[in-house]
Amino acid sequence: MTVVCCQALTRRYVEPGIEPVTAVDSVDLEVEAGSFVAIEGPSGSGKTTLLGLLAGLEEPDGGSIMVLGHDLSRLSRIERARLRQRRVGIVFQSFGLIASLRVADNVGLPLALAGVPEAARESRSLAVLEEVGLGSAFGARIDELSGGERQRVGVARALVIEPALILADEPTGSLDEENAAGVLRLLADAVRRRGASLVLVTHDPASAALADHRYRMLDGRLTAGVPA
Amino acid sequence: MTLARHVIRLVVREPRRSLATLVGVTIAAALITSVLLFGVASGATVTRRALVGLPVDAQVVVTPGSDVAAAQAIAAADPSVRTVSPFELAHFDSAAASTSGSTTQTSVGVLVGIDPSYSTRTGLFQPSSGTIAPGEIGISRDLASNLGVVPGDSITFTLPGGGTATLRISGIVSIDGADLVLGPIDAAHRAAGTNPPTNVAVMGRSDLESAVLAKIPATATAADPATAAGGGAANASPVFASDPAARRELHVQLDHAQLPGDPIAAQTWLDSVRHRVERQAAGTFTWVDDASASLEPLAADLAWGQILFIFLALPGILLALALSRLAADATADATRRHAALLRARGATRRRLRGVFVGAIVLTAIIGSVLGVLLGVSIGFVLFGRELLSAGVQEALVRAGLIAIVLTTALATLSAVIPLRDQLREEIAAGRQELQRNRPPRWQRLYLDVLALVLGAVVYVVAGGSGIHPVLNAEGNPTVTLALTSFIAPLLFWLGGTLLLLRLAGAFLRRGGRIERVLGRLLGPGGGLAGRSLTARAAAASRIIVVLALAVGFASSVLVFDATYRQQQRVDAELTLGADLRAVPPASANVGVVGHLAGRGIAASTPFVDRVVYVGPEAQDLLAIDVATLPRVAPLADGFFQGTTAAGALDALRARPDAILVSAETAKDYSIIPGDRIRIRVPDANGNLKTVDFTMAGVALEFPTAPKDAFLVANRAYVAAQSGDDRISFVLARADGDVGRASADLIRRLGAGWQVSDLRTTSARLANSITSVDLTSLVLLDVGFAVIIAAVGVALFLLAGLAERRREFATLVAIGAEPRQLRASIVGEALFVGVAGIAIGLVTGTLVGVALLQILAGVFDPPADVPAIPLGLLAAVTAVVVAALGAALVVADRGLSRLSVVAALRER
Repeated sequence: MTVVCCQALTRRYVEPGIEPVTAVDSVDLEVEAGSFVAIEGPSGSGKTTLLGLLAGLEEPDGGSIMVLGHDLSRLSRIERARLRQRRVGIVFQSFGLIASLRVADNVGLPLALAGVPEAARESRSLAVLEEVGLGSAFGARIDELSGGERQRVGVARALVIEPALILADEPTGSLDEENAAGVLRLLADAVRRRGASLVLVTHDPASAALADHRYRMLDGRLTAGVPA
Repeated sequence: MTLARHVIRLVVREPRRSLATLVGVTIAAALITSVLLFGVASGATVTRRALVGLPVDAQVVVTPGSDVAAAQAIAAADPSVRTVSPFELAHFDSAAASTSGSTTQTSVGVLVGIDPSYSTRTGLFQPSSGTIAPGEIGISRDLASNLGVVPGDSITFTLPGGGTATLRISGIVSIDGADLVLGPIDAAHRAAGTNPPTNVAVMGRSDLESAVLAKIPATATAADPATAAGGGAANASPVFASDPAARRELHVQLDHAQLPGDPIAAQTWLDSVRHRVERQAAGTFTWVDDASASLEPLAADLAWGQILFIFLALPGILLALALSRLAADATADATRRHAALLRARGATRRRLRGVFVGAIVLTAIIGSVLGVLLGVSIGFVLFGRELLSAGVQEALVRAGLIAIVLTTALATLSAVIPLRDQLREEIAAGRQELQRNRPPRWQRLYLDVLALVLGAVVYVVAGGSGIHPVLNAEGNPTVTLALTSFIAPLLFWLGGTLLLLRLAGAFLRRGGRIERVLGRLLGPGGGLAGRSLTARAAAASRIIVVLALAVGFASSVLVFDATYRQQQRVDAELTLGADLRAVPPASANVGVVGHLAGRGIAASTPFVDRVVYVGPEAQDLLAIDVATLPRVAPLADGFFQGTTAAGALDALRARPDAILVSAETAKDYSIIPGDRIRIRVPDANGNLKTVDFTMAGVALEFPTAPKDAFLVANRAYVAAQSGDDRISFVLARADGDVGRASADLIRRLGAGWQVSDLRTTSARLANSITSVDLTSLVLLDVGFAVIIAAVGVALFLLAGLAERRREFATLVAIGAEPRQLRASIVGEALFVGVAGIAIGLVTGTLVGVALLQILAGVFDPPADVPAIPLGLLAAVTAVVVAALGAALVVADRGLSRLSVVAALRER
């Protein structure tokens, strides 16, 4: 079953006085259920924009995107938000944690937005935190955690909704080598256990090497699939 | 690159930061300028009003032996002179009268000679009964009291040099407002209005010449009252022994249209007129400048007035400057980024500080200039007429310069303090957390508690003393004001603000309850708002305090103004007696009351004000209709001692001969309720007839009554006993608008009747400060308070939006719906708004009441209960809520334009 299907996907940035930039240029991409896809490329190649399009955070100028059976161009802003809220987990390079919330509240945030009652939210948050090895940090403040721990909280937040698709944007970019390897392994294992799909964008070939399918992106074009 | 270029580049390249700072500074400068201009305008108003009440602007004292007609011609020829009226005055050593077989004598006094036109021009020496018939005299009420005489009797005056003159009394004249012209003239050629003679007889000028002046030797001087023979010396006036026995004067009225508005410029103008005329006189006369003497105390009064106006506006000015601080907070990230960039390019710490402080000073100067321009525009819109009057241009320039210097200095100071922290944070980022968790120095030093305790000490030591009206040397009401009056409230205000900041911060940091309440109200977005408020406790508590103080500032000014107006109206009603007073053309009886009935008149009542004698003392007897007066005149329970208004009227109704006496009369004559009082009341021919009354109670105040001694009785009884059923005037209550009712009444009654209404009656205590209409100041203060509240909330929300940009982007990415994001900012605004407005309304009302205590002296009678203008308070709240809504809309639009992917990329 195909989880993501893009055809001739294009995103262009046009600003007055500046040369138009085509960040994503006629990209075709298919991601099968349960697969781990890595998109490699240097900075500015359009990886993050592509991920934003897949998440429904950006709107394409051309082409189509089907995510989990939904044509994103036909969904309203609210429907796209609900799709992310319930079925798509996102992991950010700079963790994307809210400093004013405790660890447990950060993890349970997508559930809170979906209206899950507090008790259920807390038990599910605790379960995923234990899964990522941070059960003891349940009530901790974000500023009490190390960088690696913060990213594991970010992974736990993506997993807590039991997603069908996880989009990870350079999740190890802010970590040292040891922490980076640990977080990536954790993410890959958790996704596989759930039978979910993972799309990872990275400029690190070592991270990409863990994927089932590798793609390379350059100047907005997904030039070639590199079999893992 | 020079420092100046760096500074300009920083201001231009950080437009958000510069604009945010500019807003606060501009508002502060505009507020300072417009309040100062209000002071300038009120100076012009007060100058105009001070001279309107002056009967003559100058007394030209003709040197003995000089030609009066020639002097009159010189004075009249000056282009600034409007009228010149001859006036002659002769002292007498004593006066005696024989009535009922016994002779009564009184001490020194003056005989005045005037032309018939004099009273019309100056309003002085108007007969209150009878007339000044040719060859006869009108006498003051005091002279009549002291000698026990009435019109028809004769008085023999002993003149300086030993001559006598016996003259018949044809009327009683009022000497109200004549202190300056009757008093002696001192060595500095100034009219000394202090303790002028009260034994006064007025007659025609030619009669004075023939019957009095002809009998006084040229070398005679006025008697020294301390050694003058006869009784009453202790009460007589201390005229100077060296005063000539007679003086010839010309009383000059100037063209006030030429008078500059500023009191100091007005004094200069008056001096120039005096010098111009005196130059031509060649010693034939001396110019005594009464107008200048009246303006002198105004300068001091106005200086205090300016302090009062600034004090009323001070919270607004400080709040506007607090906006600069909020702006600095809102743009702290930009400051840090820019500082880091400059550091990376090799800027030293000193240079960095120089560039940023330079940028603040430049922004503050630009903001101050813009604010001054805005303030001047507002000033011209609100009080353009006064500002356009002559001689205020210099004051305008002065106000502008003060505003620019003051605002630039304060704005620089308020923005440099957070800048120091921001630069330090940039330089030593590692200490950031430590610094953030440490309470500010004022909290550690408990400056809030200290200020409150000090305020209480100053208040107790100063005895809560505030403004007290007193009479100045010229007999005009003026104001004394202790500086300590301002210190206590200022300390209360500062201490209260800091304490509020401390409490709000502490409450917000324990934010579990806020999160639960907002979460329950607005869903997960509300819960996030609660969390955000806790995380931004310092910024949130600052904006709550700014909002509370802005609303409090507006409410206190509104409460103060409402009470001020209420008391002005009460005072004016007491002076006039009711909404309207109609004086019939000639002797009229109670039958004329019916003439007033018609459109605009709800009720009317006849009123008699007659001079009667209690023992030898003349007093006002107010004879009323008990049945109709309460429907017309304001009667408060506080007007009566030991009873209510209804109780006092019941006492009058119970006995036809019942009489209420003033507290002074009751004390002087040891009268208690039930005592019989014998009072001499004039009959229709002016002959005094003894009438018995029974004391029924004590009145402290009564409509139309003078402030000291008076009596209140039943009109029908007084008419029956005295055989005189004439009334003095009719009082009426308007049905709706007083002005319209007055115009209708004037039309209906026709010529001959004199109609006065509340609009044309000034309060009795019309001193220089209380005569100022505070409407413009209130409009300014409240308007700026609302703008400050709106800008403050907008800055807070927009700063929150900037600070939480990544947080909002994260929320969108993990599936937050637009309504949930909106709930987050609405939650913050809701909490901040409700807390700020509620605290502001409560503290504002309390401050308003405290201000009334401090300024109690300006109200007469003092306000028992403050007036709470609920409608206006609701309107201010509604405007602040609307401003809050507008700020929310702006923030929501900012949120909807958020580029999530770009925000997530930011580090």
